Amino acid sequence: MPVPKDVPAAVRTMLEAAGLSVSEEEFKAFVEMYPMLREATDTLYVEEVRYEEPALVFTPVAPMKGA
Amino acid sequence: MTDIPLTITEAAEGLRAKRYSSVELTSAMLKRADSLDSQLGVYITRMDEPALTAAAQADAAFAAGVDQGPLQGIPLGIKDIIATKDAPTTAQSLILDRKWGEGIDAPVIARLRGAGAVIIGKTSTMEFAIGMPDASKPFPVPRNPWNPSTWPGGSSSGSGAGVAAGLFLGALGTDTGGSVRIPAAFCGISGLKQTYGRVPKAGCAPLGYSLDHIGPMTRSARDGAIMLQVMAGYDASDPYCADVSVPDYLAALTGSVAGLRIGVERANHLTWPGVLPEAVSAFEDAVAALASAGAETPEVVVPHYQQLRNANTLMLRAEASSYHLADLRVRFEEYGVHTSKAVSGGAFASSGDFVQAQRFRSLARQEISELMAPLDAMVMLTVGCGAPEVEGLNHASFAQWPVFTGPWNLLGLPAYAIPIGFTASGMPLSMQVVGKPFAEETVIRIADAFQRLTDFHLQLPPLVAAAV
Repeated sequence: MPVPKDVPAAVRTMLEAAGLSVSEEEFKAFVEMYPMLREATDTLYVEEVRYEEPALVFTPVAPMKGA
Repeated sequence: MTDIPLTITEAAEGLRAKRYSSVELTSAMLKRADSLDSQLGVYITRMDEPALTAAAQADAAFAAGVDQGPLQGIPLGIKDIIATKDAPTTAQSLILDRKWGEGIDAPVIARLRGAGAVIIGKTSTMEFAIGMPDASKPFPVPRNPWNPSTWPGGSSSGSGAGVAAGLFLGALGTDTGGSVRIPAAFCGISGLKQTYGRVPKAGCAPLGYSLDHIGPMTRSARDGAIMLQVMAGYDASDPYCADVSVPDYLAALTGSVAGLRIGVERANHLTWPGVLPEAVSAFEDAVAALASAGAETPEVVVPHYQQLRNANTLMLRAEASSYHLADLRVRFEEYGVHTSKAVSGGAFASSGDFVQAQRFRSLARQEISELMAPLDAMVMLTVGCGAPEVEGLNHASFAQWPVFTGPWNLLGLPAYAIPIGFTASGMPLSMQVVGKPFAEETVIRIADAFQRLTDFHLQLPPLVAAAV
């Protein structure tokens, strides 16, 4: 997914969808940060991954509860 | 007591030779904390009284002829995100419910106590193991004993600084993207992130569920082996804990690397922006020392290196976001500003992105397995620089620093950070020894053999040398 043209609008939408209300200063920091996060995430869509299963394991037997 | 031992190994011998008691050893370390901790911010909670009680019990056991092993009577610090029954756990945060972990020892703490260790206090961290130094919150700002204007690394900051300053002989840290190994590197000590699942992590406030490890931080690799021996092994309370037999780690410390094939990873590390020339030369000297001791040192290149880093970061933020989102929605301002920013980052990745990271993880596991098949271990820089200044430090600025720890959390492989020298300004440098899954004995053997050839891990910061 390419970095959206309107980064502030995209960031605002994603924050709202997550239910997060942030200050204007924090919002600016997220706007600055988002393109780097998006580009870093897009590097994971490499061709070799196409037929890989995700490294997710679920077992139907419930484990003991820890602390 | 004026001559405080540097290592667990040395102290264990001293206790058995009756050169001092555990009460005397513990008292001397508490006295050193009286002198130094106002400058270093190591402790969130000192546990003087329970520690001295535990020390007296260790002494009584010795007197009765009971020997519980090399941790008996040894003072240890515990990162304050791990539950201990006799002290609160804060995660260095106003957010964590103070009843969390109340009256409970995490399994790893119970194991250490069962081996006679003396829990001397709870150490400072970065908030929930993901924050950054934050003087606006009512917690200590940890500082590096080698230069208190610099950061000891994080997030196991107090554990790293405390071992380096000799406030305790070993400590527990946690490592999700490097939080044992980064402070070990910046503080000039040894820090082990063992294989994912080797040590139960129940009773530890989570950061990244599939990336978290509780690991030992000590001066020497031999001391790390002593702690891991007690910490390792299956416990049903952690669903990710592996039911794999635990070898005798001390027996594996032959002092030799002769015949081992240790891959040397230069390509993704030595030319990274910000790597100091001193780090490169210290690393090359370390490789030469291993080769001189009889190891084969073929060149290796880790594939998809940048993606390994990116996948670890994405997963860490996503898993942390899952844990924190409900609190972030209603208590955003109570978090430290660095923490809220970091964990909110999970909102910017889709669920599909998260699964894609897991698919990449499968690919990377296969690629690294093939790369390491003809090898016993790999070595590479832990970080490529000395510790940064505390002032002005934040996630954005630290992201520019050459730190190489995250890929081994993503892959769950054992990685031991050990000191290899100093920068021109006298700050510690470090390399990692990375092993195959559940092959900690090989990783520790290499680290120990290197430390028999060098003494970087035994150097004391000037601040400490001048103290009691």
